[in-house]
Amino acid sequence: MNVLTVNNISYQYEGSKKNVLKGISAGFEAGKVYTLVGKSGSGKSTMLSLISGLDICKNGEILYKDADLRVIDRDKYRARDIGVIFQSYNLLTNVTAVQNIVLSLHISKAPEKDKKSFAYSLLEKVGIDRETADRPVLKLSGGEQQRVGIARAISHNPDMIIADEPTGNLDRDTEAEILKIFINLAHSENKCVIIVTHSKKVSEIADVIYGISDGKIAFHKQLPIEKNS
Amino acid sequence: MYILENAFNNVLRNKGRNILIGAILFAVIVTAVIALMINTTTSSIIENYKGRFGSEIRLEPNMEKVRDEAMKNSTDGMVRVTVPSIPAENYIAFSESEYLQGSIMTASAGVICDSITSVDAELGGGSGMMMMGGGAGIEASENTPMQFMMSLQGNKLAEFEAGTRELASGEMPDELNECIVSTDLAESNDIQIGDSFTFTGELRDMAEGIVQPTSYTLTVVGTYYDVTDEYAEGSAQNAFTNRRNEIITTYDTVVQEIQSGMNGIKVAATYYLKNPELLDEFAAEVYSKGLPETFDVTTDKATYNKIVGPVEGLKGVAIMFMSVVLVFGGVIIALLASIAIRERKYEIGVLRAMGMKKTKVAFGLWSEMLLITLLCLVAGLGTGRLLAQPVTDALLAGQIEAAEAAQDEQQSNGGMMLRMPQQDTAADAEPLSDIDLSLGLDTMLQIIGIALVLASLAGLISISRITKYEPIKILMERN
Ligand SMILES: Nc1ncnc2c1ncn2[C@@H]1O[C@H](COP(=O)(O)OP(=O)(O)OP(=O)(O)O)[C@@H](O)[C@H]1O
Ligand SMILES: [Mg+2]
Repeated sequence: MNVLTVNNISYQYEGSKKNVLKGISAGFEAGKVYTLVGKSGSGKSTMLSLISGLDICKNGEILYKDADLRVIDRDKYRARDIGVIFQSYNLLTNVTAVQNIVLSLHISKAPEKDKKSFAYSLLEKVGIDRETADRPVLKLSGGEQQRVGIARAISHNPDMIIADEPTGNLDRDTEAEILKIFINLAHSENKCVIIVTHSKKVSEIADVIYGISDGKIAFHKQLPIEKNS
Repeated sequence: MYILENAFNNVLRNKGRNILIGAILFAVIVTAVIALMINTTTSSIIENYKGRFGSEIRLEPNMEKVRDEAMKNSTDGMVRVTVPSIPAENYIAFSESEYLQGSIMTASAGVICDSITSVDAELGGGSGMMMMGGGAGIEASENTPMQFMMSLQGNKLAEFEAGTRELASGEMPDELNECIVSTDLAESNDIQIGDSFTFTGELRDMAEGIVQPTSYTLTVVGTYYDVTDEYAEGSAQNAFTNRRNEIITTYDTVVQEIQSGMNGIKVAATYYLKNPELLDEFAAEVYSKGLPETFDVTTDKATYNKIVGPVEGLKGVAIMFMSVVLVFGGVIIALLASIAIRERKYEIGVLRAMGMKKTKVAFGLWSEMLLITLLCLVAGLGTGRLLAQPVTDALLAGQIEAAEAAQDEQQSNGGMMLRMPQQDTAADAEPLSDIDLSLGLDTMLQIIGIALVLASLAGLISISRITKYEPIKILMERN
């Protein structure tokens, strides 16, 4: 059963004539890693924005567990059901890394009592030490910000993790580590993980690859599930 | 809860912007505190004086009309201006008006007394009439008015109430034909309580040329200290106008010699309206009951204006100033708030993308504003209270000065203005020169109200702006 179903969606940005998405359909299941690949400007980030409930599509529908995103409380959906790692991080820049996570925990009404120490431990998991965690985000490198974004996305234990180029600014070792986290989330914790990437190496960890070209699904590749993690 | 915490942190974080907003709020609040304190205090002062002066009616001869009338009637080139009087029966008829809560009648008459030497007797007497026009002096004829050396004043007790006169010995006149004299007069003539004197005067009908003598035999029942000015400002100086020569007696005593249609006994009345708004109705009634058109029916505006005018000016200035500051402050705060939101669009977009509800984002922004406002409120109330008194004193002094300057100018321009002697008007009234301000609970609540409205104005602008945007649009605008 699909956690998320995308049915023939089209989209154009306000004030622009161009159809960015032209009838995309795709299904996403729990326990699997999906990658979206495609040329720059093909509409990958746009599709993620719609899946994330940041805007609604004019044509077609997106169903989260059979509920139409146009109808449900999308604030609650963003706060609790999904975790998004944005291509441009979208962190609060004037507060510290750990405060970003704590705020997210508050918004999603996470059950943890000591939200701050939980936030530190999450950051440590993605390779951010305490000293770095206490610095304002503005004073972190791109890679560090990306890792804070990842920590924030998984902090409230969502059903779905949506990531736009999550390893674009990371070195190979860290990239491997992060990918391991994603795979683990899907295969051990039964999350649905959707990753947009340019990197062939990243795309190959997926269980399913969707190729997007000019606002349409160009190909759909089911890879054999490797059980080696 | 975390929203408040976050708001608190944000206030500390964005110091520059918040200090700017805070400074403006502070200025607005300080001004509001001062202006409202002035407003409430002056309002109650004005209300009080309005009640006192607004209901006190005067029937005053309009000297300009009187003069015109006299010139019209002049046959021999000499214009006799007699201060017109209202027949006593009219005064009594007027006092029965249903618009009045009460009235005080007074009567006066010029007299002479052979056995008493008046104060300033060497200056001669007076007739109570004013001569104008070409006539060279007074002809010694039948028609020459009697030169009075003293005056009988029936029921003239205003000075006793004001404290410028006080009973020195004996008692106040109460029965018919009782009187008291000033200590000056008593000492120079060795007048004792119990002495009786005969005073004579005259009534005349100017038109017919009829003269009728009057006579009073009065018993002295007391003496009074007198610290009034000897002569009313601007009056002729003679024994008749010298106020030490005023024999205080009862109203009934003076009017017992009155004769219909004859001049010589001046009756006056002060009427008290049930409320100041009834002035026009009362005026219409008294004119219809026979008050000559040469009389004006007025409240004591001059005194009221002199005493309260500067206070009213002060109130006006305060309200004006506050309105201007409120409007400007409101506009600036609104502008700052909308600039702040534009700056913080990204932050709001991130919060919204994280799933924070619009209402919570708005509440957070409003809380920030509220926190700043509260800080400013505490500081502003304190500062305003400290500044209010000195500011008031300075403003009031300015108002009094301006009022005096305006009055001087009026006086120096009024060369042809006829002044009535013995008219206790604005001349002796002193403007209120100090006001004790206090910060009442009402005022405090008003100020808190103003502050909250301003904070909410800023909050509302923020809210209306963020509700226009979907998170994706806010975040998109950054890229
Ligand atoms: N706010 C916007 N207004 C109008 N057009 C936009 C807007 N954002 C993106 N586009 C256009 O929509 C198309 C798809 O953009 P999108 O960001 O989805 O591409 P992408 O596949 O994520 O590219 P990349 O790999 O470079 O991130 C592009 O042609 C882009 O110019
Ligand atoms: Mg993109």
